[in-house]
Amino acid sequence: MYFQKKRCIAMLLAGGQGSRLKVLTEKTAKPAVPFGGKYRIIDFPLSNCVNSGIDIVGILTQYQPLELNEYIGNGQPWGLNKTHSCAQILPPYERHDKKSGWYKGTANAIYQNIDFIDRFDPEYVVVLSGDHIYKMDYAAMVDYHEKNNAACTIAVRSVPLSEASRFGILNTNPDNSIYEFEEKPKQPKSTNASMGIYVFTWKVLKEALIADEDDPNSSNDFGKNIIPALLNQGQKMMAYNFDGYWKDVGTIDSLWEANMELLGKEPAFNIRGDERTKIYARNNALPSSYIDAGAKVANSFVAEGCEVYGTVKHSVISIGCTIGDGALVEDSVVMPGVVIESGAIVRHAILGENSKVCKNAVVGGAFGPKDKKKISVTSKGAVIEANTVLLPGEML
Amino acid sequence: MNVMGIIFANDGAIGGLTDKRTTASVPFGGRYRQVDFHLSNMTAAGIRHIGIISRHNYQSLMHHIGSGEEWGLELGEGGLEFLTPYAMSTTDNYRGKLETLYSAMDFLEFGPQDDYVVMTGSAILCNLDMRRLVDAHIASGKDITVVTKAGIANGVKQLDLAIKLDDKGQITDIAVDYAAPAGYLASMDVFVLSKAWLITQVKECIAHNLYHMDRDLVLGLWQKKAVSINVYQFDGVAMYNESVEDYFRNSLALIDQDVRHDMFNGYHPIYTKVRDRVPSYYGEACEIDNCIVADGCMLDGAAKNSVLFRQVTISEGAEVENCVIMNDSVVGEGAQIKYVILDKDVTVRPGAVLIGTPKNPIVIKRGEIV
Repeated sequence: MYFQKKRCIAMLLAGGQGSRLKVLTEKTAKPAVPFGGKYRIIDFPLSNCVNSGIDIVGILTQYQPLELNEYIGNGQPWGLNKTHSCAQILPPYERHDKKSGWYKGTANAIYQNIDFIDRFDPEYVVVLSGDHIYKMDYAAMVDYHEKNNAACTIAVRSVPLSEASRFGILNTNPDNSIYEFEEKPKQPKSTNASMGIYVFTWKVLKEALIADEDDPNSSNDFGKNIIPALLNQGQKMMAYNFDGYWKDVGTIDSLWEANMELLGKEPAFNIRGDERTKIYARNNALPSSYIDAGAKVANSFVAEGCEVYGTVKHSVISIGCTIGDGALVEDSVVMPGVVIESGAIVRHAILGENSKVCKNAVVGGAFGPKDKKKISVTSKGAVIEANTVLLPGEML
Repeated sequence: MNVMGIIFANDGAIGGLTDKRTTASVPFGGRYRQVDFHLSNMTAAGIRHIGIISRHNYQSLMHHIGSGEEWGLELGEGGLEFLTPYAMSTTDNYRGKLETLYSAMDFLEFGPQDDYVVMTGSAILCNLDMRRLVDAHIASGKDITVVTKAGIANGVKQLDLAIKLDDKGQITDIAVDYAAPAGYLASMDVFVLSKAWLITQVKECIAHNLYHMDRDLVLGLWQKKAVSINVYQFDGVAMYNESVEDYFRNSLALIDQDVRHDMFNGYHPIYTKVRDRVPSYYGEACEIDNCIVADGCMLDGAAKNSVLFRQVTISEGAEVENCVIMNDSVVGEGAQIKYVILDKDVTVRPGAVLIGTPKNPIVIKRGEIV
């Protein structure tokens, strides 16, 4: 057989639009949004897979896939380009039986790729989403799933009770088996929030997907349909506790916060790792950065290929950016290839890839620690003309 | 037109920096090895069949280059070949480039059917458009093209190969191992020639116990009027890293914007082995002025006019001035270093003071704790 049998493979849901990221996902899928100076969001689940020994990753794409496909390429940066490993892009396709069309939901996306999964004859399938920042050893979760002889294991983290009604909440028995799943409950019974990370026994999932597809009333979604259906069947479902850093970066505010949480002497999320927990990214052939004598950089990330002449405070400056002399960048996320000209001021902003802030322009404003921070955002390639202002919370 | 490349990896020495590595694998410019420039120049010109000739100390070089995938050399015809030495019946070790080429005769004769060969040493760094160079060689109709740089000869610097031209561009003198006066062109150790001609000449030379590329092939044949030479003048930045002093000066020269842009944003990017480090972190109180900084650094102290490689740590209160600090080295709290080259994995103890001079920078060898 050409395909090597695998114990476990991963399916990464990367087709969502990420509409809450607004202008940042107008031209690119959410998993391809830059993060942390040199990464893209999808690097985190992809690297977690590789670090967990999972070397077959199916990537389900649908919305604006060009940049994402280009970024994944042959999977080489993650070591997924070997004879028996792959990072396979799986777009929707046309079928003979009229069941084709766009992916109707997360479950339908996996359903349409049953053949892909069957090629590897796996015992277990890990289903991941492409919009979370975290480091996690999926292998430990799969072992836990296997040890418990479960049909499905869902990673959970404890959230404050006051916020629990924003999440899918799992109510568990003392042995951590799940007896109830409530999507955004008004009166939450527990604080175990689903992280959208699932391990399934493939045989069980496959049957559930086929049954779900035959139900015309289903919205073909894991949270809404598959998980409740498995619970109703009485399948053994386990919660897997995870207490490390995890962040859904689906909104402008959370994306900004997650970037800021990389900073500091002891950051909330330490992206540095040993070889076992390293996050891999596709690297560009950029030279080292240059920090001018007139520059001042404090409590910030500066990635490669930058030229800094101005002042940078508490910010993430991504690859290939230029910060002109006399410019000030504070509390901001500057995505790859941005040019900030001399005298410009950027505060509490996310500047999209290759956008430009011309001379003496002002983006965003300063906030006190207790103020509600309104993040200003520029889209990919946007230009803030010289001497103009982009107000706090505005987008261009 | 098929062109192959040959890189001579053990090309001279750069003091203690080449104790345990080839000239080709000496780290340079924050994230590169010297050979990255030569490999990138070749691959940017579509050269896909490259032989790397090394005599000794080549582990670090092989580790760096690996399968050559960073330069797109891992697949397809030709690709990358390491030509490591083996004892020859006639000599114990190679005496010159012609002998090494002779020992690599199988590679030359039986490899892919290339028409031309571009050869380069590994001590001189530049961002050179080799496609234009090969075109110029072919258009000249000459046997060999020598790439040269004006302004290097100064009557003091010893040049491997120096060429003097008259007003009409005719060669009036060629000299080898010569402190040529200003006005001579310095060879950049890059040659273009047809493969057939090279094979013939190497065999001829070895048969007559001649082994020195510059002296026996270029100068010797020119004196016998047995070769036609095309002199190609390169107008970009050329860095001759032929001593520790050169290496130190050229490293710090990258701080100049024009030099940097010429080397890295010239004809093409310079590719290197991907290490995938995190972006460098600049602490609250760090003072980084006029520095080249690679990725993965942790900067809490002060650094001025320096080149900081990957994963360098400058601790609080440390002062670094006019230094080249290679990968993974740590400058401890309150340490003070000036005119120092720290090789990889060096630890400077807290409070230590090391002060060299521009002409004689202190070199701390790999892995040492000082």
